[in-house]
Amino acid sequence: QLIDFQWKLGMAVSSDSCRSLKYPYVAVMLKVADHSGQVKNKSFEMTIPQFQNFYRQFKEIAAIIETV
Amino acid sequence: MAGELESCKPLSGLLSGLAQDAFYGHPGITEELLRSQLYPDVPIEEFRPFQAKMRGILKSIASADMDFNQLEAFLTAQTKKQGGITSDQAAVISKFWKSHKTKIRESLMNQSRWDSGLRGLSWRVDGKSQSRHSAEIHTPVAIMELEIGKSGQMGCLRGSQETKPKQTWKQFLDVSPLC
Repeated sequence: QLIDFQWKLGMAVSSDSCRSLKYPYVAVMLKVADHSGQVKNKSFEMTIPQFQNFYRQFKEIAAIIETV
Repeated sequence: MAGELESCKPLSGLLSGLAQDAFYGHPGITEELLRSQLYPDVPIEEFRPFQAKMRGILKSIASADMDFNQLEAFLTAQTKKQGGITSDQAAVISKFWKSHKTKIRESLMNQSRWDSGLRGLSWRVDGKSQSRHSAEIHTPVAIMELEIGKSGQMGCLRGSQETKPKQTWKQFLDVSPLC
Protein backbone atom coordinates (compact mmCIF):
# COMPACT_ATOMS: atom_id res chain seq x y z
CA GLN A 1 0.00 0.00 0.00
CA LEU A 2 1.21 3.47 -0.87
CA ILE A 3 1.84 5.43 2.32
CA ASP A 4 3.63 8.50 1.04
CA PHE A 5 4.80 10.08 -2.20
CA GLN A 6 7.61 12.65 -2.19
CA TRP A 7 9.13 14.36 -5.18
CA LYS A 8 11.96 16.67 -6.11
CA LEU A 9 12.65 18.60 -9.29
CA GLY A 10 16.40 18.84 -9.83
CA MET A 11 18.79 20.25 -12.40
CA ALA A 12 22.08 18.46 -12.99
CA VAL A 13 24.43 21.29 -13.96
CA SER A 14 27.73 19.56 -14.57
CA SER A 15 29.40 16.17 -14.23
CA ASP A 16 32.80 14.59 -14.72
CA SER A 17 31.75 13.29 -18.14
CA CYS A 18 30.04 16.47 -19.31
CA ARG A 19 30.87 19.96 -17.99
CA SER A 20 27.77 21.52 -19.49
CA LEU A 21 25.08 18.98 -18.60
CA LYS A 22 22.00 21.17 -18.05
CA TYR A 23 19.75 18.19 -17.40
CA PRO A 24 16.47 18.62 -15.51
CA TYR A 25 15.00 15.54 -13.80
CA VAL A 26 12.27 14.53 -11.37
CA ALA A 27 13.28 12.33 -8.43
CA VAL A 28 10.53 10.43 -6.59
CA MET A 29 10.56 8.74 -3.17
CA LEU A 30 7.75 6.27 -2.53
CA LYS A 31 6.95 4.86 0.89
CA VAL A 32 5.21 1.48 0.53
CA ALA A 33 3.89 -0.90 3.19
CA ASP A 34 3.64 -4.63 2.49
CA HIS A 35 1.03 -7.07 3.90
CA SER A 36 2.90 -7.41 7.20
CA GLY A 37 2.99 -3.66 7.61
CA GLN A 38 6.72 -3.36 6.95
CA VAL A 39 7.51 -0.04 5.32
CA LYS A 40 10.01 0.24 2.47
CA ASN A 41 11.36 3.28 0.65
CA LYS A 42 11.80 3.17 -3.10
CA SER A 43 13.40 6.01 -5.00
CA PHE A 44 13.88 6.56 -8.70
CA GLU A 45 14.62 9.27 -11.22
CA MET A 46 12.79 10.32 -14.37
CA THR A 47 13.69 12.52 -17.29
CA ILE A 48 11.15 15.23 -18.05
CA PRO A 49 9.54 13.29 -20.95
CA GLN A 50 9.31 10.21 -18.70
CA PHE A 51 7.73 12.33 -15.98
CA GLN A 52 5.21 13.78 -18.42
CA ASN A 53 4.16 10.26 -19.36
CA PHE A 54 4.00 9.30 -15.67
CA TYR A 55 1.79 12.31 -15.02
CA ARG A 56 -0.51 11.47 -17.95
CA GLN A 57 -1.01 7.95 -16.58
CA PHE A 58 -1.96 9.37 -13.18
CA LYS A 59 -4.41 11.74 -14.78
CA GLU A 60 -6.03 8.79 -16.55
CA ILE A 61 -6.26 6.83 -13.31
CA ALA A 62 -7.79 9.80 -11.51
CA ALA A 63 -10.40 10.22 -14.24
CA ILE A 64 -11.34 6.52 -14.12
CA ILE A 65 -11.48 6.39 -10.31
CA GLU A 66 -13.98 9.24 -10.38
CA THR A 67 -16.29 7.16 -12.55
CA VAL A 68 -16.02 3.84 -10.72
CA MET B 1 52.02 9.72 -44.79
CA ALA B 2 50.76 13.10 -43.62
CA GLY B 3 48.60 13.13 -46.73
CA GLU B 4 46.92 9.93 -45.52
CA LEU B 5 45.97 11.52 -42.23
CA GLU B 6 44.61 14.59 -43.96
CA SER B 7 42.26 12.57 -46.14
CA CYS B 8 38.72 13.07 -44.95
CA LYS B 9 37.03 9.82 -45.86
CA PRO B 10 38.28 7.76 -42.96
CA LEU B 11 37.96 10.68 -40.51
CA SER B 12 34.20 10.24 -40.25
CA GLY B 13 34.74 6.58 -39.40
CA LEU B 14 37.38 7.51 -36.85
CA LEU B 15 35.05 9.98 -35.12
CA SER B 16 32.35 7.28 -34.98
CA GLY B 17 34.79 4.82 -33.45
CA LEU B 18 36.04 7.38 -30.92
CA ALA B 19 32.46 8.27 -29.98
CA GLN B 20 31.61 4.58 -29.47
CA ASP B 21 34.50 4.30 -27.07
CA ALA B 22 34.36 7.66 -25.28
CA PHE B 23 30.59 8.21 -25.01
CA TYR B 24 28.73 4.96 -25.54
CA GLY B 25 31.15 2.80 -23.56
CA HIS B 26 31.42 0.26 -26.36
CA PRO B 27 34.16 -2.21 -25.43
CA GLY B 28 36.98 -3.33 -27.68
CA ILE B 29 37.55 -0.21 -29.75
CA THR B 30 41.30 -0.12 -29.53
CA GLU B 31 43.74 2.26 -31.17
CA GLU B 32 45.07 -0.62 -33.29
CA LEU B 33 41.57 -1.58 -34.44
CA LEU B 34 40.87 1.97 -35.59
CA ARG B 35 44.23 2.27 -37.30
CA SER B 36 44.04 -1.03 -39.15
CA GLN B 37 40.45 -0.46 -40.28
CA LEU B 38 40.68 3.19 -41.26
CA TYR B 39 44.32 4.19 -41.74
CA PRO B 40 46.09 0.91 -42.57
CA ASP B 41 49.03 2.61 -44.27
CA VAL B 42 49.82 4.93 -41.38
CA PRO B 43 52.34 3.71 -38.81
CA ILE B 44 51.13 3.52 -35.21
CA GLU B 45 53.58 6.22 -33.97
CA GLU B 46 51.94 8.71 -36.32
CA PHE B 47 48.41 7.50 -35.80
CA ARG B 48 48.53 7.65 -32.02
CA PRO B 49 48.91 11.46 -31.60
CA PHE B 50 46.47 12.04 -34.46
CA GLN B 51 43.66 10.02 -32.91
CA ALA B 52 44.43 11.56 -29.50
CA LYS B 53 44.01 15.03 -31.02
CA MET B 54 40.68 14.08 -32.61
CA ARG B 55 39.49 12.45 -29.40
CA GLY B 56 40.41 15.59 -27.44
CA ILE B 57 38.52 17.82 -29.86
CA LEU B 58 35.44 15.58 -29.74
CA LYS B 59 35.49 15.46 -25.93
CA SER B 60 35.79 19.26 -25.68
CA ILE B 61 32.83 19.73 -27.99
CA ALA B 62 30.69 17.20 -26.11
CA SER B 63 31.70 18.43 -22.67
CA ALA B 64 30.69 21.98 -23.49
CA ASP B 65 27.59 20.79 -25.34
CA MET B 66 28.48 23.31 -28.03
CA ASP B 67 25.82 24.95 -30.12
CA PHE B 68 26.61 25.61 -33.76
CA ASN B 69 28.06 29.09 -33.20
CA GLN B 70 30.37 27.86 -30.48
CA LEU B 71 31.31 24.90 -32.66
CA GLU B 72 32.29 27.09 -35.62
CA ALA B 73 34.36 29.38 -33.41
CA PHE B 74 36.06 26.44 -31.70
CA LEU B 75 36.90 24.61 -34.94
CA THR B 76 38.16 27.80 -36.60
CA ALA B 77 40.51 28.31 -33.66
CA GLN B 78 41.70 24.70 -34.07
CA THR B 79 42.56 25.29 -37.75
CA LYS B 80 44.70 28.31 -36.81
CA LYS B 81 46.66 26.45 -34.13
CA GLN B 82 50.13 25.01 -34.66
CA GLY B 83 49.62 21.26 -35.17
CA GLY B 84 45.88 21.83 -35.37
CA ILE B 85 43.43 20.56 -37.97
CA THR B 86 42.79 21.40 -41.62
CA SER B 87 39.64 23.21 -42.67
CA ASP B 88 38.48 20.04 -44.46
CA GLN B 89 38.87 18.10 -41.23
CA ALA B 90 36.98 20.86 -39.41
CA ALA B 91 34.11 20.41 -41.86
CA VAL B 92 33.98 16.66 -41.23
CA ILE B 93 34.00 17.19 -37.44
CA SER B 94 31.28 19.82 -37.72
CA LYS B 95 29.08 17.50 -39.79
CA PHE B 96 29.68 14.67 -37.35
CA TRP B 97 28.72 16.73 -34.28
CA LYS B 98 25.58 18.06 -35.97
CA SER B 99 24.28 14.57 -36.70
CA HIS B 100 25.39 12.88 -33.45
CA LYS B 101 24.97 15.68 -30.90
CA THR B 102 21.61 14.53 -29.57
CA LYS B 103 22.59 10.88 -29.18
CA ILE B 104 25.92 11.72 -27.53
CA ARG B 105 24.25 14.14 -25.13
CA GLU B 106 21.68 11.50 -24.19
CA SER B 107 24.45 9.01 -23.54
CA LEU B 108 26.29 11.50 -21.32
CA MET B 109 23.09 12.22 -19.40
CA ASN B 110 22.59 8.50 -18.84
CA GLN B 111 26.13 8.23 -17.51
CA SER B 112 25.26 10.86 -14.92
CA ARG B 113 22.17 9.03 -13.68
CA TRP B 114 23.14 6.80 -10.81
CA ASP B 115 19.80 6.39 -9.13
CA SER B 116 17.32 3.83 -10.41
CA GLY B 117 15.13 4.82 -13.32
CA LEU B 118 11.51 4.08 -14.11
CA ARG B 119 11.66 1.32 -16.70
CA GLY B 120 7.95 0.62 -16.99
CA LEU B 121 4.58 1.50 -15.60
CA SER B 122 1.28 -0.39 -15.74
CA TRP B 123 -1.87 0.06 -13.73
CA ARG B 124 -5.36 -1.20 -13.12
CA VAL B 125 -8.39 0.22 -11.37
CA ASP B 126 -10.56 -2.22 -9.42
CA GLY B 127 -14.02 -1.41 -8.19
CA LYS B 128 -14.08 -3.46 -5.01
CA SER B 129 -17.41 -4.51 -3.64
CA GLN B 130 -16.03 -5.58 -0.29
CA SER B 131 -12.80 -5.17 1.59
CA ARG B 132 -11.34 -7.28 4.39
CA HIS B 133 -10.11 -4.22 6.23
CA SER B 134 -13.00 -1.92 5.75
CA ALA B 135 -16.74 -2.24 5.86
CA GLU B 136 -17.11 0.19 2.99
CA ILE B 137 -18.79 -1.25 -0.04
CA HIS B 138 -17.64 -0.32 -3.51
CA THR B 139 -14.26 1.27 -2.75
CA PRO B 140 -12.25 1.86 -5.89
CA VAL B 141 -8.63 0.79 -5.78
CA ALA B 142 -5.84 1.78 -8.12
CA ILE B 143 -3.09 -0.80 -8.42
CA MET B 144 0.15 0.26 -10.05
CA GLU B 145 3.12 -1.81 -11.04
CA LEU B 146 6.34 0.16 -11.42
CA GLU B 147 9.45 -1.39 -12.92
CA ILE B 148 12.31 0.38 -11.19
CA GLY B 149 15.92 -0.39 -11.86
CA LYS B 150 19.36 0.73 -12.86
CA SER B 151 20.46 -0.28 -16.34
CA GLY B 152 20.98 -4.03 -16.31
CA GLN B 153 18.90 -4.48 -13.17
CA MET B 154 15.18 -4.89 -12.83
CA GLY B 155 12.92 -4.71 -9.84
CA CYS B 156 9.19 -4.44 -9.55
CA LEU B 157 7.19 -2.37 -7.18
CA ARG B 158 3.50 -2.99 -6.92
CA GLY B 159 1.43 -0.69 -4.84
CA SER B 160 -2.21 -0.08 -4.33
CA GLN B 161 -3.91 2.95 -3.00
CA GLU B 162 -7.25 2.36 -1.29
CA THR B 163 -9.86 4.50 0.30
CA LYS B 164 -8.07 7.83 -0.01
CA PRO B 165 -7.04 7.80 -3.65
CA LYS B 166 -8.44 11.20 -4.47
CA GLN B 167 -6.29 13.04 -1.93
CA THR B 168 -3.03 11.60 -3.16
CA TRP B 169 -3.87 12.03 -6.81
CA LYS B 170 -5.00 15.60 -6.25
CA GLN B 171 -1.81 16.48 -4.40
CA PHE B 172 0.14 14.99 -7.27
CA LEU B 173 -1.81 16.69 -10.03
CA ASP B 174 -1.49 20.13 -8.42
CA VAL B 175 2.25 19.76 -8.62
CA SER B 176 2.69 19.61 -12.34
CA PRO B 177 3.00 23.01 -14.06
CA LEU B 178 5.63 21.48 -16.35
CA CYS B 179 3.14 19.42 -18.31
